Amino acid sequence: MNVGTVLLGLAFGAALSGVGILGRAYVADDDAYVAHVPKLTAAAAVLLVSALLHLTYQFVTTDYSNAYVWENTASYLPLLYRVTGVYAANEGSVLLWAAIVSIVAMIAGTVRGISDQHAKLVHGLTLGLVAYFTGMLLAQSPFASIRTAFPGAPPGFVPTSGQGLNALLVDPYMAIHPPVMFISYALLAMPFAIGSAHFVSLFRGNGGVFPTWHGSVTRWLRLSWLFLTAAVALGGLWSYTVLGWGGIWAWDPVETAILIPWLFLTATLHAVTAYEPTGRYRVLAPAMTATVFALVVYTTSVVRSGVFRSVHSFADGGIGAAFLVLMGLTAALGVVLPVTYWLLETDDGDGDGGDDRWLRRANLVHLAVLGFGLLTFVSLWGLSFPLLRNAITGLEVSVEARYYNLWSYPLVLGLLLLLGFYMDYDADGRTRALAGLGVFTAATIVGAFVFPSETWQLASTRPNDALVYELVGSASAASVLPPVAYAILGTVKRTGGRIRAAASRDAKLKQTGITLIHVGAALLVLSLPFMYVLAGQASVMATGVGDGSMDTTRQAVPGSDYSVRVLGHSRTEFPQDPAVGTYALSTDQVVRRGSSLNGSVQTVHGTVTDIREGPRATVVQLDGSSVWVGLAGNGTATTATTGERIVARGRLMWNFVPSADAVVLARAETVGPTADPPENVVPTRVVAEGVSLAVYEGNQLRASGIAGQRRYPEQGGMQVRDVVIDRGLVTDTYVIAGVSDGTASITVKQVPFVTLMRVAIVALLLGMSLVALFDPRHGAVTDTAIREPAHETNPEVAD
Amino acid sequence: MKPRKAMTLAFFVVLLSIGYFSMHAAPTLSDENYSYHGDTRWQTNVTAAEETAAAEGKPIVVYFWTTWCTYCEDYNREAYADPAVQSKLDDFVKVAVNLDDDGGESARMQQEYNVNYPPQHVIITPDGEVLVRVNGYAGTDDFLSYLDAAEQRYASGGSA
Repeated sequence: MNVGTVLLGLAFGAALSGVGILGRAYVADDDAYVAHVPKLTAAAAVLLVSALLHLTYQFVTTDYSNAYVWENTASYLPLLYRVTGVYAANEGSVLLWAAIVSIVAMIAGTVRGISDQHAKLVHGLTLGLVAYFTGMLLAQSPFASIRTAFPGAPPGFVPTSGQGLNALLVDPYMAIHPPVMFISYALLAMPFAIGSAHFVSLFRGNGGVFPTWHGSVTRWLRLSWLFLTAAVALGGLWSYTVLGWGGIWAWDPVETAILIPWLFLTATLHAVTAYEPTGRYRVLAPAMTATVFALVVYTTSVVRSGVFRSVHSFADGGIGAAFLVLMGLTAALGVVLPVTYWLLETDDGDGDGGDDRWLRRANLVHLAVLGFGLLTFVSLWGLSFPLLRNAITGLEVSVEARYYNLWSYPLVLGLLLLLGFYMDYDADGRTRALAGLGVFTAATIVGAFVFPSETWQLASTRPNDALVYELVGSASAASVLPPVAYAILGTVKRTGGRIRAAASRDAKLKQTGITLIHVGAALLVLSLPFMYVLAGQASVMATGVGDGSMDTTRQAVPGSDYSVRVLGHSRTEFPQDPAVGTYALSTDQVVRRGSSLNGSVQTVHGTVTDIREGPRATVVQLDGSSVWVGLAGNGTATTATTGERIVARGRLMWNFVPSADAVVLARAETVGPTADPPENVVPTRVVAEGVSLAVYEGNQLRASGIAGQRRYPEQGGMQVRDVVIDRGLVTDTYVIAGVSDGTASITVKQVPFVTLMRVAIVALLLGMSLVALFDPRHGAVTDTAIREPAHETNPEVAD
Repeated sequence: MKPRKAMTLAFFVVLLSIGYFSMHAAPTLSDENYSYHGDTRWQTNVTAAEETAAAEGKPIVVYFWTTWCTYCEDYNREAYADPAVQSKLDDFVKVAVNLDDDGGESARMQQEYNVNYPPQHVIITPDGEVLVRVNGYAGTDDFLSYLDAAEQRYASGGSA
């Protein structure tokens, strides 16, 4: 039992008893003990945050008595990356998630109170999630003792150095991407609780939660959407700079897994804003609200549990199995329950008041919801069906980027055309809008056949491809232009009018936000295909790097307008000249750890106080203590002199000889003076090798800096790239260099439209913030009313 | 039929067709005994491959890959699509090890050859001695010269 485990246990107890009290109170409809629930919620939140802080402290002080700390950090890492190690693996991530959900539960409970039946149910479900996550942590703890990693180790054993952080995570983007993502996921816990509580309450004949909680659902969803968008963007920018792929998106399972909830959340927001308590979306909006979190759990499980490694990895218990159960629970509450209700519901009117016109704004919004639903499905299916198929037939099929790109592309164009049409229809009426739609759709189809150069083709088609792949793959990227133009024109025109017409400052700000979101999304869609189809790359080799014989004149990069000058070579090992105390034990530390060190390889340092040469070995006493360094050989092996400070590495034997407690059996090459320690005694965690170079386009200097790679010898020789990126207004120049054995192979890539993409992301985030804060009806800043009228019509889609 | 209902029905029709067609259009990656990379076919059973290699006296190319590695796709597009590489690879026994497999064999190979990121090729003798390592991505010409070097070392009975 350690401090962390105790904190988790207490938090689990607090959350679980809160759930128990609320459950009993809800079923029995009496308020016994409910007064304790806010205290229990606060206790759970404080305990979980304390546990998180405690873990962070262990990381900062590199306390290797904790197995999780030992696995995910090392002393040479700077403070920032010692902190980010906290969420480098499953256990820490789940703790972060649980802590944030508990804070959300506490805030929500405080703001609204838990006096009525509905609030009890919602709060109970949120607290239930906290309890579940905490239970998961107890089962697979981030505070497990180091003994779990070294079952055979003697009591009191603590390693002297950690395994280090996954090299890919040593990056500022990765320092903030996970917390932002988990904040977003945690914020989704509230909509999930409200959505599923709605159906539980309907089944119990209590009339549903959603009508009165509509405003609060909208606020939570928008806030979560803002954070999730930021998380996706940060992740994309990270892969652009770190992975050296020269792109921001590769459809790998982890990327796809975060996009799925994002797409569905986007669909949900469109449904929720069009929701009317007695009319349209009265089933679908709450159902989607509950489903988003189920999707988050599903995708996280798929990625985190290692089911991607194999279908069978759920079987080995731990967090994988716990996620599987959570998946079942959230799917039951968030998917099965609403679907059952919908099937049982006899009144099948869709609340349109018998209006059978096809062309209505409400129907257009519905199309948008369905379109985002399809996009979600494409990603979800791509992530899931290889697993399904493998589980059923044992046949592995590959889902490539083509699958995602070519299925999603037409859907995205369709959505943009729909957006343009919706805005146009709203502003200029039916006839004008239909004409506009016709023109821009025709332009899109024409655009698919326009090839300024053959690189504009969306994908390389192969013989015997499926028809869809052939059709979409052979289209030109020019087809993206008309829909983007239509969407932007329509949006700016309609919202421009609305901003002017808006009565209050808040309404103006909200409309500005809506504009920014839709324009930003259109620009993002514009930048993506070109970033890939128009990216060019060319390579050149430079020899003689590092021995002074290299050619420092400009060399042309074949097949491009670029030329490269290699100006120098650098090779740096980290940690540089580390203080001896960071990698070697002092004699005091050896004596204090005692027999737990027996048989392990250790590095020790101290001042030579005695040298005894025997016929077969020499022993050297350090600091006048009972710690000695033993060297085979007869005195020729060591050059140590009394009074000198030395460092030595070797197998440490406890009670090896009668007169000494510990003897470190070193060899000549593992003993040396502290001031100039031998190579193989000082640990090398990172070897950064690179060339400083200047890249010219024509006669213009485009980019200069050091490009190369960082190798992590103690992490299996894992390598990450150091790239040089020159951010241009239209085109980024992206330089990758692989340096080995005196040869640098330099690749120069041109990546267009990255700046446009960044602008689009900023517009999206800014727009989302404005809408979330200043929406006159449900803004975080503007809305101070706890209760809202149960019947409201939405001006957005009221015809 | 009301418009909204018609739309929702159409949505499900499209969804099911996307599901059906995409499933059938997906290229096979591996079946019982082989996995496919570019236009090359690799054994997946290491033990069987070692036996084949010993019987035929050929060196083994062990290819460590994953489904999500972009440089593996580059190999599929470049080296493995190249006829010269394909015919050169015929002089070797080809084994592909998916780093994400939980099977004992995959873990054993990863540990034995100290591999923890894709793509890597380790060319070994039938007894498991390392001849040549290709860490990360190599262009087609480089890849060919690595294969040549491995053959020469194998012929001269040495190892790296």
